[in-house]
Amino acid sequence: MSVALVGTDRRPYHGDLLADAAVELVRRRAGRVPDGEPPPAAAPAREEEQEAVSPAAAARLGAILGGRHPRLLPEWLAVAASTGRRVPPRLLPELLDKGARDRSIRPFLGVLAGRRGRWLAGLNPAWSYLMAEPTGESWELGGHGDRLAYLGELRGSDPGAARRLLEEAWEKETPDDRAEFLALLGEGLSMADEPFLESVLDDRRREVRQQAADLLTRLPGSRLAGRMVERAARCLAVRDDRIMVEPPAECDRGMERDGIRARPPRGTGERAWWLQQVVSRAPLRIWDTALLRMRIPEWDREVRSGWVRATVLQRDPVWAKALFAWDPLADLLAVLPPEDQDELAADFVHRHGVDGQMIMVLGGASTPWGRGLAHAVLTKIRKVAATQPWNLDELARMAGERIAPADRFMADGLTEVSSLLGFRAEMMKELR
Amino acid sequence: MVIIIALVAELSEGLASVRQMIERWSQAPQGSRVAPARHARVAAGLSELERWLADQVRHGLAAADEREWAELSRRLVDAQAPGVAGVVGRLGAARSAADWPERLLEVYAMLQLLAVGHRRAADLPDDLARTVRIRVGFPVSREEVLAGPAVRDLWHVVGRREETRDRLVARRVWLRGRTTGRAALVLSFAPVGHALDDSLVTGEVVDASMAFYPGASPLRALVSARHDDVPACHDAPASHDAPASHGAARGGGASPGSAGIASGGVPPGTTEGEALDEVAAALAGDPWTESWPLVLAGVVPSADWLGGLRLHPRVDTPWRLIAVSGGGPLTVAAEWTPRGLVPLTTWDEQGQAVIL
Repeated sequence: MSVALVGTDRRPYHGDLLADAAVELVRRRAGRVPDGEPPPAAAPAREEEQEAVSPAAAARLGAILGGRHPRLLPEWLAVAASTGRRVPPRLLPELLDKGARDRSIRPFLGVLAGRRGRWLAGLNPAWSYLMAEPTGESWELGGHGDRLAYLGELRGSDPGAARRLLEEAWEKETPDDRAEFLALLGEGLSMADEPFLESVLDDRRREVRQQAADLLTRLPGSRLAGRMVERAARCLAVRDDRIMVEPPAECDRGMERDGIRARPPRGTGERAWWLQQVVSRAPLRIWDTALLRMRIPEWDREVRSGWVRATVLQRDPVWAKALFAWDPLADLLAVLPPEDQDELAADFVHRHGVDGQMIMVLGGASTPWGRGLAHAVLTKIRKVAATQPWNLDELARMAGERIAPADRFMADGLTEVSSLLGFRAEMMKELR
Repeated sequence: MVIIIALVAELSEGLASVRQMIERWSQAPQGSRVAPARHARVAAGLSELERWLADQVRHGLAAADEREWAELSRRLVDAQAPGVAGVVGRLGAARSAADWPERLLEVYAMLQLLAVGHRRAADLPDDLARTVRIRVGFPVSREEVLAGPAVRDLWHVVGRREETRDRLVARRVWLRGRTTGRAALVLSFAPVGHALDDSLVTGEVVDASMAFYPGASPLRALVSARHDDVPACHDAPASHDAPASHGAARGGGASPGSAGIASGGVPPGTTEGEALDEVAAALAGDPWTESWPLVLAGVVPSADWLGGLRLHPRVDTPWRLIAVSGGGPLTVAAEWTPRGLVPLTTWDEQGQAVIL
């Protein structure tokens, strides 16, 4: 080899170098024996316990992963996971890759991957997140995912017991776990949780403190809510039909302890930032939605966005409805019960042109859409199709994705919507 | 092996003059309808190649110049030796590899072997002489192939791959005969954007007669007749009127783009040792063989291995294959190449083909 590199002029070679090389090469290729021992293989995966989805369902999942209506993936996964089945092994690598990029589908994969999926995740660090998804183990012995699932379930059936379990284990948990466990108390939240949450406001980790403050904000009777009422009262005053505003002059220790962040994001002034947070963390029942009609000569934007944030944080349907009329935001819609969402969204679609805002608002309505909203959107599509069909791509796709497949008849004549609904109807049938 | 050694033993004779070449080719019994003028041009081109290779070896591979390759390749095209021209044209790829000196020496050595083989074709067994001529770039007509004997079998379609070069898509379909155990390769071509012959779908079994191209290790073949109600589709040029729905209609239906396909069952596989014997036999017949379809049974895949055989270094970890295996043994169709195996297809517990 080295002779060939520098040339036979400089390093003489007896014989025909290329001919010898050819002989050697073919001899080596033809005479090759097994390349040796591969590294010791991982222990084989254990037998599956779950049944696999039907071949037709698996084939459809393959098609979705292959790029046919890719946005239906979460729906396929959610429905399939609810049946407790698993996907065939050949589809696991693509699914686990998706899960690595998209956290929202991981809980479904925890179910659908089966034992083969867990075995596979053990071989590829990019898929190790799967190990954190619940498998059915106990609070004492299970991994992080199992413990989250256990606590979540207990919270659903016996909120007090769940809180006491968390309180007992609190000192031993890592800061990351604390924040996640604490978030579970949002379910079944009551004043019985208040003393514990108030004590957590002194936790070392900011995410944990913030989580506790967010929960206490939802309890109008909490000590934190009381302190916020005082702060808000110092900032806002009604004179005649106007709201006069005086933002906080400083962010003191007590405010920070209650979850108010001292440092504003870039482009926002400090006082505006503090004002907005105080308004958003004060219990909404101290105001009246009639205030929305009043003029706010100064700091108008901060106060109103504070109310929006408060509505989302405190999940107040009355305020959500009132504010939606003033600023149709998807977040506000999401606070409402499904019937109200449908009604409000349908009314909005009726009065509004097809644009990015409409798409955003519809994104906040829970799925599947009720018939009222379905009707409003389909009517809109039919009307606009005559004049500006190029504007309809996204709206039609959303309709196909979000209307209940059983209501397919409503979309008769709208080829794209109707065929997407048909695709989903087939999909549901295969997954039954 | 014996043939190769006999062949290369002659290489040290030195270079014959172009005139002698022309004389030899014009005298040589050809048994082919190719015009003598073409033979003369090819011989001249190859003898220039031999001289060039000798120069390369004298001056050293380190002095290799990519512009020279393009020029040489162009001249070989002019000399009507497109097969050799193609190999020379791809030298750039070998040059960019990390182990390029070895790669370059390999290609040079096999080119020289081909050039000398061509020069001495009259002394070679007929099959090998034919292989040499095909490798150099003398075409074999479809009529000639179809006129030869055909091998009827139930053929498992074990893999398929498309490659685009010069705005032409080439589709390779690999098959293995269920009873004969023979390997076959069906090529089809179409301009980019046009439909390719879709009559052979991975995972299916076709009852067909295959007519093999002549040569010492026949692999490339044409479907000369199908006995399962599907019309035979021959290779190039792609017939645009071929029923486009074949693949989908017969592939099990409602799921275009899915990885699983209605199956014709798992093809019979061989052990690793048997597979290597098969490759050795193919190389003994045609030392320029660089691709051979294998079906291995009972192998456990891992990141870089298929049983005891290494995967091609450019193959990414075959996760889908590993997922289907679950760490256990399975049947895998793979393309043998001198640098390692490239997985093509495996079969899951239900006997469904899974394209890798």
